Amino acid sequence: MKLVAGRGCNIVHQLLLRGASLLVPVSHRGEWLREWRAELWHLRNQSARSAFCSWREEFASTRFCSGAFQDALFFRREFGSGWKPFAPLAESPSKCLLFLCALLAACYLFTVILPGVRAERSLAWSHAYADAVLIRNARANNNATPTISFQQFRQWDRDKGKYFEGFAFYRVAQPPIALAGSAQKRWHIAFASSNLFDLLSIPVRFEAQGRSADRHLYSIVLSDEFWRRDFGGDVGIAGSILRIGNRDFRIAGVAPRGAWRFPEKVDAWVLEPDSAIEPEALGFVVAQLSSKGRSEMWAPRQLIKTYGPHNSEEDYLGVLLDEQAPPPWAVFLFGVLLALLALPATACVSMSEFSRLSHKPSWSRRFLRWGFMGGKVALLVLIDYFVSLDMSYTYTSVFSPYSVYLHLATSFSICLLGLSWACRDQRQRCPVCLRRVTHATRVGVASQTFLGWSGTELICAGGHTLLHIPALPTSWFSTQRWLYLDGSWEFLFTGS
Amino acid sequence: MAQDAKLSHTAAMILQAIDAGFVYGFSIMETTGLPSGTVYPAMRRLERDSLIWSRWERQSIADQEQRPARKYYKLTTAGKVTLEASRKRYPLLARLIPSAEEKSV
Repeated sequence: MKLVAGRGCNIVHQLLLRGASLLVPVSHRGEWLREWRAELWHLRNQSARSAFCSWREEFASTRFCSGAFQDALFFRREFGSGWKPFAPLAESPSKCLLFLCALLAACYLFTVILPGVRAERSLAWSHAYADAVLIRNARANNNATPTISFQQFRQWDRDKGKYFEGFAFYRVAQPPIALAGSAQKRWHIAFASSNLFDLLSIPVRFEAQGRSADRHLYSIVLSDEFWRRDFGGDVGIAGSILRIGNRDFRIAGVAPRGAWRFPEKVDAWVLEPDSAIEPEALGFVVAQLSSKGRSEMWAPRQLIKTYGPHNSEEDYLGVLLDEQAPPPWAVFLFGVLLALLALPATACVSMSEFSRLSHKPSWSRRFLRWGFMGGKVALLVLIDYFVSLDMSYTYTSVFSPYSVYLHLATSFSICLLGLSWACRDQRQRCPVCLRRVTHATRVGVASQTFLGWSGTELICAGGHTLLHIPALPTSWFSTQRWLYLDGSWEFLFTGS
Repeated sequence: MAQDAKLSHTAAMILQAIDAGFVYGFSIMETTGLPSGTVYPAMRRLERDSLIWSRWERQSIADQEQRPARKYYKLTTAGKVTLEASRKRYPLLARLIPSAEEKSV
């Protein structure tokens, strides 16, 4: 038992050393690890010599190994390459803006490359379900019962009237159908008019056109869940042939996650021409409202009266479907608004602490300073938009309720962090040359605040200004002050 | 490192320990009572400042004793001078970690 525990602890210690070694630059890693392993061996050997090998000794070994992280960090600081990815942000204004532009381009590229984000973005802009209505017989107890015959649908489709722009029909096969070669699993397949997805403005992902040999096959659109579960999320699935029962279908693409809001669960939609649907088949009708129809449809549910060939009245119920979550740009703008409101509570936003005794910079300099600040904020907001999109819609759908919260949280936090940084950065940039002030020096003694000034002084490397930041804000010195250096300082900064 | 360089108490203790004959990292830890996270980085700094130097012991010796080879540390000339200055600054240093000669006396 003691032996097993000892071996287990040894493995843990070796893993700790190996983990710490990853912090050490590659050129020194081998020797560093050799020394620590040798020392650990001697430590363990000394413990083994004692009669009682206790947990206390194992704990001492663990504490010894944990010290390796501090040593590794020292090596990293001393011998590392010193690559600091965000260093350009603290450099000259042009480098700072260029870096932000590059970051924006990278974020945009990610948005374009990530298939999930791209689809969700196009879906968000496509106004899916706008002015779409599900029509059912008013006498039916619920939305889930198919009540409208295909014959009735054809009649409406021929005579759309002034309230509707188009109709689509679908019915869900009962019982569920098995795919060829997998009798155990059964799928809910909907047979729908070929214009269903166009009518609802739902973009189909990975959309593929059929080859000439497959033209006679009907298209099938897979649900996102079905595609991930049974096809392993294969992005090259579009265009391949799927056999359901004894019929072949050509996979046209994948519907976005959560896009289906109609009654009954559906795994795939077979898009077939109207001629292929039986006239007596009962199903559901989806209608697209015209502008006049939209103005008449003032309630989420509206009674629709139709007149049959023998002047017989039929009552139907139209259920509006576009009560959807706000589009991503609206969520993003709300997040930015919240961040702007929260900013004064989290960061100092004051920018005008100039010394009254010194001269003020020219108008052009002031314009440049505020232009730089505006450029930073604009780029940060755009970066925030794309990063929050990437973070929110890589794994969630526009139709998912979580995506709204996730998008709001990410856009708010990134915007707040970004704006706080922009304010902090601007406050430490020389108003004359816009370079960051450097060489921080502590001045005065904190305990003598009432007798003298204490705080930090920073100087512009170009020799333009000196920045005083009080350690403790007082009534006579509450915010930072700039002191403009006159020509007598120039000899100190020749060449900078 | 100049002769009048001022070392921290920790660095001075490590120099004193090495001078006293504790030439391995773990033995310095045991002598000074300092944790590994303090001793090793401090030794790196001392080596960087050329106050000590390190060398791997010969593999044949380690193989003979059936153990891994260790890296040992020695004071440089500058290190010895700095240690002398530190002893004046920290008079208790020599009493805390007596050197081999002092022990024999």
